Amino acid sequence: MSTEHKITTQKVNFKVFRFNADEDYLPYYENYDMEVTSEEVVLDILNRIKWDHDGSFSYRRSCRHGICGACAIKVNGRSTLACKESMNDMVALFGKELVIEPLSIKRAVKDMVIDKADFWEKHDAITPYLVAEIDENPTTENLVSPKDAQKLDEADLCIQCGACHYACPVVEINEDFFGPAAFAAAYRFEADVRDNSESRLKDVNEERQGVWDCVKCFECAQVCPKDIDPIGKITKLHQMAFQEGVANNNVAVRHAVGFKKSIVKNGVLDEGGLVLYSEGPAIVKHLPVAFKMFTKGKIVPPWGITKSENLDEIQKLVKSSSTAKF
Amino acid sequence: MSIPIYTYDAVIVGAGLAGCAAARELQNAGKKVAVITKLHPLRSHSGAAQGGINAAFSDEDSVELHEFDTVKGSDYLADQDAVEFMCKNAPETIRWAEKMGAAFSRKPDGKIAQRPFGGQSSPRACFAKDRTGLTLLQTVYEQAYRVGVKFWDEWYAADIIYKDGKVSGVVAFNIRDMQVAIFNAKTVMFATGGYARAYKINSNAHANTGDGLSIVARHGLPLEDMEFVQFHPSGLSGNGVLISEAARGEGGRLYNAKGERFMEKYAPNALELASRDVVARAILNEIREGRGVGPRKDAVYLDVTHLGKDLIMNKLPELRELAMTFLGLDMIKEPILISATAHYSMGGIPVDIDGHARKNNKEFIEGFYAAGECSCVSVHGANRLGANSVLEALLFGRFVGKTMLKDLESIELRKAVQEDAATALKEIEFLLNNNGNESVPALREELQQCMTANAGAFRTKESLQIAVDTVKELRKRFKNVRLRDKSKLFNTELQEALEFGHMLDYSLFIVESAIAREESRGAHYREDFQNRDDENFLKHTMAYMDKDGNISLDYMDVVLGKHELRERNY
Repeated sequence: MSTEHKITTQKVNFKVFRFNADEDYLPYYENYDMEVTSEEVVLDILNRIKWDHDGSFSYRRSCRHGICGACAIKVNGRSTLACKESMNDMVALFGKELVIEPLSIKRAVKDMVIDKADFWEKHDAITPYLVAEIDENPTTENLVSPKDAQKLDEADLCIQCGACHYACPVVEINEDFFGPAAFAAAYRFEADVRDNSESRLKDVNEERQGVWDCVKCFECAQVCPKDIDPIGKITKLHQMAFQEGVANNNVAVRHAVGFKKSIVKNGVLDEGGLVLYSEGPAIVKHLPVAFKMFTKGKIVPPWGITKSENLDEIQKLVKSSSTAKF
Repeated sequence: MSIPIYTYDAVIVGAGLAGCAAARELQNAGKKVAVITKLHPLRSHSGAAQGGINAAFSDEDSVELHEFDTVKGSDYLADQDAVEFMCKNAPETIRWAEKMGAAFSRKPDGKIAQRPFGGQSSPRACFAKDRTGLTLLQTVYEQAYRVGVKFWDEWYAADIIYKDGKVSGVVAFNIRDMQVAIFNAKTVMFATGGYARAYKINSNAHANTGDGLSIVARHGLPLEDMEFVQFHPSGLSGNGVLISEAARGEGGRLYNAKGERFMEKYAPNALELASRDVVARAILNEIREGRGVGPRKDAVYLDVTHLGKDLIMNKLPELRELAMTFLGLDMIKEPILISATAHYSMGGIPVDIDGHARKNNKEFIEGFYAAGECSCVSVHGANRLGANSVLEALLFGRFVGKTMLKDLESIELRKAVQEDAATALKEIEFLLNNNGNESVPALREELQQCMTANAGAFRTKESLQIAVDTVKELRKRFKNVRLRDKSKLFNTELQEALEFGHMLDYSLFIVESAIAREESRGAHYREDFQNRDDENFLKHTMAYMDKDGNISLDYMDVVLGKHELRERNY
């Protein structure tokens, strides 16, 4: 029964981002050396800076146990939910020199506090509620089988902390892109058997703002403090777009469709054919590169493809597993 | 500079379950509603509720049994008409939340799943894994957003406009730039949360500072049953973060340093699932008699290893994460360290079943309402049962919204004037400019330590007197405070100072009400008066604060009903 549970301490140096948009022309970094115990999380350090050193140090926080999503910041460049990250783990990961910064420096308002308007606008854009007639005086509930309930795949556990949103490289360069948190929210409702929205799945399939602009770097899955796996949800939204027949005829979608067509035709991927299918007449812009690749033997012409020996079997597999409507 | 005045039909302070439910009800009926919250609505503390929400709708259960358990759990201090109302409407309320999108765990037949909870005769707590509050908060907020409720997020409500028995608005400021505004309305509702943060070891969110209570009390209006603070049996050792009762509901066991399953001594029938006050005192008693465990010997073991990995991962995944993060212990493999933590406020702003706030035992305040943890209906009496709090917040929040809708037909708008903001402005001005030598974090630490030591799960006249004296002393020292941050931009130091001022005031309500209640009932346990005294104390405390900050006490009858007074055993 007995668990030997010891509390240890170690000395850590914190380099903390400071900025007051009303008063400072440029941000600066303040140094704090602290004895840190094995019981502490990153939020305890933020509290100690504020309470013991400088009352003007500002950050958002509330629940202090990883369920309200207020306190996401960056530690050594990695998005982190301050109240859920133990200091021991941080030191094990990054050593005893830790840099504490807001989630997005260009959006900094004061110290760790950032202007999150873009995050909430994206959240609002995906119809973030169950679209259903609400029975105000129900005598029974909707019957949802445990299997259907599981389809949400933990997307309902997202706490809107923004860790993934401000870690996403596409959000950084494309201001129309909804971002991984909004997609996880979209998936949460699209996967709900009770939802009747006719626009949400289309909205998240539009070019620039939608799932097709995801570059699949997996950063969102890496940093999510609740293991929501936003990239997994983005993939599922891709699949849903085909299943529901709402995928638009654009280059990204044709790329996916072309993949399948190539496999059905040859059992292997015809790369040149795939580009032609995806880009259409725009393929001319790729001709110089294609020519070079061809001369170096990197691609074969469509007539030179060797079909798979088991093409029959592959075609049967594709037929039995595909639900795409395109 | 003139202060903007915004006019609404209804202004609601707090965007947790109660606030969002009321707002949706009003907006859906075409009223103009503003919700003021110092966080983003989705950060509200309702989202931290883990284990479940009660409704008697299984075949083996009945509404009457739910009533009985609630009344017994309350140690007979709950008003039975309010309890009947809540239990009767619980099934519809939960199904309504389900229809709006709440992601409940399901039984194989597709119905909402239920689990056993402490003090309940039947498995009655509907749940969404161990994050029931989160799905409910998300759902109610989402649907309130859907119908067009205007949320003023990151605004701090500093005062109400109260004159001549009538409330006609709220004074608030934008945390981002300290712009003060008056929200003028025919009806105002408080859904501002509870006051357990007055204690050092507590389970509450940083933001859940109970400001609403003393905002009301500073106008000479009463607070009810403030001595009743629930200590939850299972907070993580050291920081009090909650480990839901679901851990015991699913079969978790408690052991002391000698390896004894000590609840056999304290509650031979219900064991770990006796009501919370009983289990919390048992744990604290084991610790103070030297049978505590852990590095500080300030905890007992909570063991769920026998439940197996599948059940833990399926039904208690968040709890496992918490113990790993804060203790480095994996509950699949080993027992974790827990002890009692200040958790829930049974007392609050006195209201009737419809949510009308009381001016005194007989009269009501026009245009003012409260629901959720900041209110005292009273459905919890001296001790709340697990999974009744989210129910209360959601259910009464919604019904108070309906009450406000009805009342709006007859209430006249009293136009706000600039002077209505004077008190709030003066308070902010004082805190920003005062040049003393006391710091808020240091004073708050002293207050919280004192409350845990002297007004906690065990109380005596002497300990409570120490608490009274300490609070009064700290109040004096608070006048000598100095803030370092003079900026208008996101001044969270100012906000913490305002919150601490409120904490001082309502803490005095807690200890003054506790010292006068010379009996033990529910969560209020007096070692110098260990028995319940129905003859003298089967009544609600109604406490008032005068202009000088002194508390005076009055009492109000308990509404009794079909559930007769009995001795309370588990």
